[in-house]
Amino acid sequence: MTDPGDTDRCVLVVDDDAVLRRVVRAVLEADGFSVIEASDGEQGLKLAAEVHPGVVILDVMMPGMDGVEVCRRMDHTSTRVLMLTALGDVTTEVASMEAGARGFLTKPFSSMDLLDRVEELLKT
Amino acid sequence: MSDWDPPSVPDPAAALEAQLLVFAKELGESYQRERARRLELERAYGDMRVAYLQTTRSLALVVEAKDAGTGAHLERCRNYGMALLNEMGVADENREAEFGFLLHDAGKVGIPERILNKPGPLSAAEWRVMRTHPVVGYQLVADIPFLRTAALVIRSHHEMFDGTGYPEGLKGEEIALAARAFSVVDAFDAMTADRPYRAALPPDQALAELIRMSGTQFDPGVVRVFAPLAERLLPPAA
Repeated sequence: MTDPGDTDRCVLVVDDDAVLRRVVRAVLEADGFSVIEASDGEQGLKLAAEVHPGVVILDVMMPGMDGVEVCRRMDHTSTRVLMLTALGDVTTEVASMEAGARGFLTKPFSSMDLLDRVEELLKT
Repeated sequence: MSDWDPPSVPDPAAALEAQLLVFAKELGESYQRERARRLELERAYGDMRVAYLQTTRSLALVVEAKDAGTGAHLERCRNYGMALLNEMGVADENREAEFGFLLHDAGKVGIPERILNKPGPLSAAEWRVMRTHPVVGYQLVADIPFLRTAALVIRSHHEMFDGTGYPEGLKGEEIALAARAFSVVDAFDAMTADRPYRAALPPDQALAELIRMSGTQFDPGVVRVFAPLAERLLPPAA
């Protein structure tokens, strides 16, 4: 059994853009999080089920399974999902909420907002 | 089947660029904020140090007044002492020595005025009381972590280089460097200032005296650095 205190500080980043994953990873790691990455929805679901990260950061727009669908299939008892959306995309936000997402971050976002949001989610 | 349709896909390269620009701008802003905060902190530290020094000076003056002094001696000791440490290249690691220079005689609060201001020579018993002042002064500040070097100056300012001083009879480098430096400037100022019972010595004679006592009362290394400095510090003889 993995120590839940450990995996809480673990963040899974699911985004098809490798550069964006690397940058988000750098920001999170600089603040003391451990980060794992997935480049698509299927891989994201698999990793989330194995590792039980405290937070999953999920890009809405991905080839293959889209972020809302990934969110719907996620096990929300062990993790909190933070969706990356486009500014003003209210329909996506509503759909994500219904799929169990706990928060949104509109792209482009500041690293401070990213860290604040992840930290907030971990308190819930 | 999802009841949600993905919105039209924006240009991913443009989106990434926008994201990286936000991070880059944020970096610049955070650096600026950091720098402003550092300046603010340095200013606050400077203000606090000045306030601390003024407070220390006030305390030292209370004691000096009891000893019939005016405070000018304290201020000169502080000036000469800091200039000497600077010249020796050890000012940075001995910055709090400044407080010790001002407070060196603080322990005299515990000495009765009839002993401090006795016109004639002290009896053996009176000397025993008088010689407690470095330890009393040390105890006054010993628990203040910030004043560690200062505390050593206070405790050891009557030690002599050859081990014949008090209170501990420390010898050579057993005596803290700042205290060795202080005893030189203290003696120099005592000799070059007027006293009720004798006129001030000219600086060259006072220096000759310091050199004569090098190795016995004073650290020869300290005197060597102080000699050329003394002529610059002292205003030309009136």
